[in-house]
Amino acid sequence: MDNFLQAIDTLTIKFTLAAVLLPLLAFIINLAIPGKNNKITGWISTGAILASTVLSVFVFSRVWNSHQVHQLVTWFTIGDTKVYAGVLLNNLSVLMLLLVNLIALPVHIYSTAYMNNDKGYNRYFAFLSLFCFSMLALAVADNLVLFYIFWELVGFSSYLLIGFWFTRDKAVQANKKAFIMNRIGDIGLLTAILIIYATFHTFDINILFGPNSIIKSISFFNKGEWFTPLTGYFTIPGVSYHLDAIWQYVAFGGIFLAVAAKSAQFPLHTWLPDAMEGPTSVSALIHAATMVAAGVFLLGRVYPMFNNTELTILAIIGCFTAFMAATIALTQNDLKRILAYSTISQLGYMIMAMGIGAYSSSLFHLVTHAFFKCLLFLVAGIVIHQMAHVRDDNKLNIDPQSILNMGGLRKKMPLTFITALIGGLALIGLPFTSGYLSKDGILIQAFQWSEGKSFVYMLIPVFALLTTWLTAFYVTRLIVKVFFGDLRLLKTYPSAKLHITDGGWQYSVPLVILAAGSLFPFFALNPVAYEHSWLFKAFSTGSSPATERVFHIVVPVGVNILSVLVIYGAYVIYAGKKLNPFSPAGALWRLSFNEWYFDRFYNKYIIKPLMALCRGVFRFDRRVIDTFIHSIAYAGMALAKLAAWTDQYIIDGFLYLVTDIVKAIGNFARRFQGGKVQYYLYSMLVVILVIFLLKTLI
Amino acid sequence: MISLTDFLVVSAVLFCVGLYMIVSKQNAIQILIGIELMLNAAILNLVAFGKYDRFNNGGQMFALFAIVLAAATTAVALAIILNVYKQYKTIDPGKIDKLGD
Repeated sequence: MDNFLQAIDTLTIKFTLAAVLLPLLAFIINLAIPGKNNKITGWISTGAILASTVLSVFVFSRVWNSHQVHQLVTWFTIGDTKVYAGVLLNNLSVLMLLLVNLIALPVHIYSTAYMNNDKGYNRYFAFLSLFCFSMLALAVADNLVLFYIFWELVGFSSYLLIGFWFTRDKAVQANKKAFIMNRIGDIGLLTAILIIYATFHTFDINILFGPNSIIKSISFFNKGEWFTPLTGYFTIPGVSYHLDAIWQYVAFGGIFLAVAAKSAQFPLHTWLPDAMEGPTSVSALIHAATMVAAGVFLLGRVYPMFNNTELTILAIIGCFTAFMAATIALTQNDLKRILAYSTISQLGYMIMAMGIGAYSSSLFHLVTHAFFKCLLFLVAGIVIHQMAHVRDDNKLNIDPQSILNMGGLRKKMPLTFITALIGGLALIGLPFTSGYLSKDGILIQAFQWSEGKSFVYMLIPVFALLTTWLTAFYVTRLIVKVFFGDLRLLKTYPSAKLHITDGGWQYSVPLVILAAGSLFPFFALNPVAYEHSWLFKAFSTGSSPATERVFHIVVPVGVNILSVLVIYGAYVIYAGKKLNPFSPAGALWRLSFNEWYFDRFYNKYIIKPLMALCRGVFRFDRRVIDTFIHSIAYAGMALAKLAAWTDQYIIDGFLYLVTDIVKAIGNFARRFQGGKVQYYLYSMLVVILVIFLLKTLI
Repeated sequence: MISLTDFLVVSAVLFCVGLYMIVSKQNAIQILIGIELMLNAAILNLVAFGKYDRFNNGGQMFALFAIVLAAATTAVALAIILNVYKQYKTIDPGKIDKLGD
C-alpha cells in the first residue's frame, strides 16, 4: 500500500514538474522561432498552458484535501549546510498552481486575437510563457531560496511585459517604476529570509511553516530575545540559537515590504496604476489576477511566523489601502486605471483578512477576485480595442481608454456587456456571485475580530464596509459610463463611422469561461453561506463561535441593501446627461482625482531629494574626487618628468662623460699604434728622453 | 794630444745624426745607413776607451767584433729590405703599416 502511494506521489511530482516546465519550454522555443509576428508562437504558448492546466487539474485532484506531497533533492552544500530544492504540494500550492493556469489559459486564448496585429507578437508570447513559468514555479517551490528566485523572476517578467511597448516613453517610465518599487520589496524579502535562516538554519518552507512549524512550536520569546532550541533538527556546535527579539520584527518588516511591493499595498502601491501601460491582456493576467496575488500567497506561506501585533499592523495597512484605493477609483477617467485601483483595493481586503486571522477567507477572496478582475480587464481590453479601431478608422484625436468618450456600448457588444455586468456585480459582492461569498466572509470575520476589542479596532470593519459601498459606486459609474446612455464620442465627432462588435471566438470564449468562474456554483452550492464553500472549508481550522451567527445575518443583509441603494443612486447620477455630476473644485474630489497626491508626494519628498543627492554626489565626484585624482596624476607626471630629466642629463650624462673620456684616451693612444715603425721608434725616443729629463730634474 | 772628450763628442754627434736619420728618413736604405752611423759611434767609443786597457786591448777587440757583427746585420737587413720591396713595391717604412690594425 505504501509503495503504491509513493508511486502515485512520484507521478504527482512528475506531473507538477511538467506543468511548471512546459511554459519554460514554450518560452525557449518561442525565443528560437524566427520572425517577429509568427502566429505559431501564440499557439505554442497556448498549447503549453493548456497542457499545464490539464496536468495541474490532475495534481490538484490528487493533493487537495488529501495528504501533503513533498519531495526534495540536495541542491548544493556550503560547509556542513545542505540546501535542498524540491516541490512542496499542499492545499495552498496546488490551489495557486490551478488558479494561475485557469486564469492564464483564457488570457492566452484572448491574447492570440488581441495581439494579432502587434509587431512584437513573438516577443509577447515568449514573455508571457516566461511569466507563467515563474509564477507556477513560485507556487510549488518548497524552499525560501527557490521562492526568492522565482519571486524575482516574476517581477522581472512583469517588468518586461509592462514595458512591452518600449518605444512609448510612458511605458518605459512605468516599468522602471514598477521594477524599482519591486526591488524595495525584494530587499525586504531577502532580509527576512536571511534572518529566518540565521535563526533556524534551514530554508525549508515545510519545516519552517508547515504543519509542524518550528517557528510556531519551538521558538519562543524570553526577556527580549528570540530563542530557537533546535535540538531535534540541526545542531551546530558553537552556534547560539537566539537573536534579539527585534529581529523577529525586522523579518516581519521585510516580509511586509515584499508583500506591499508585489501586492501593491500602501506605501508601495503607486506602481500598479502606472503598470497599466502594458498590453491589457497582460494587465489582466499579471496585474489583476496572479502576480499581485503573489504577495498574499507569500503571507499565506509564512503565516505562522506572525504574532498578534504584526497581524494587526497587516490589518490596518490592508484596510487603509482598500479604502484609499476605492476612493481614488471614484474619480478616475481612464478605464484601466479605475480597474487598477479597484485591484489595489481588493488586494487590501485580502491583506486585511490575513491580518484579522481570516486566513481562509483571504485565500478564497484571492481566487474569486482573480476570476472577476481578470474578466473585467479582458472586457476593458475589448472595449479599448474597439475604441482604438474607431479612432484609427476616423482619424480622431481621442484617448481610447477614457470612459468620457464611451457610452451606450451595451447594444453594440451585448456579450461583453453581460459578462462585464457579471464581473462588476461580483466585484461589488452582490448575492449569487463568487465575490459575495468571499467578501462577506471577510466582512463578517472582521466584525467578529473587532468584537470585544476597543473602539479603535472597530474602525477596521467599519472602513471595510465603507469600502464595499464605494466599490459599488465606482463599479456602477464605470459600467454606466461605458455601456449605458449614448456614445459620447458622437457628440464631439458626429460624423464618425462605427464598427463596434464583440469580436471573434478568441474574445468570447475567455469571457464566458471567466464569467462562469465569477458565479457562485463554481465555489459553493449555497449561494449565501461562505462557510459551505469547498475552498473555505479546506483552509479553515476551527469551528466558528456562536456570535458569528448574528453577524452572519446582519452584515450581508445590511451591506447588500445599502449596496443596491448605492448602485441605484449611481445609476441615476450617471445615466443622466450630466458628464461630471460632482464639482471638480471640491477638496475631496481633487484628493481622489489626484490619487491622494501619492505620486506628487513621492516625487517631491523622495525622488527629488534623492536625485538632488545623486547630483550632489556626482558633482562631488567630479569636482573633489576627480580633481584630487587629477592633481595626483599631475604631480606624478611632474615627478616623472623630473626623473626623466635627471636620467637623461645626470645619470646618462655621467655615463656619456665616462665613455667620452675613454674614447678620448683611446683616440689619443691609438695614434701611437698606427703600424708605422718609425713612430714606434720616435715614441721610444721621446719616452727615454722624458725619463732622462725627469732623472736629471729630480 | 787629442783628449778623450773630443772622441766622445764626435761619437755623440755621430750617434745623434744616426738617430735623426732613423726617425726621419723615408727610405729604408737611409735608415740602415743611420743604424750604421750609430753603431760606428758606439765602436768609436769602444776604441776611445780602449786606451785604458793597453795590455789586453779589450776595447780594440770588441770594436773588431762589433764591425764584423755590423757587417753581418747589414747583410741580413739588406736582404729583408729586398724582400719587403718585393712584397710592397716600396721601401718607405711609413707606408708599410700592415703591422697596425
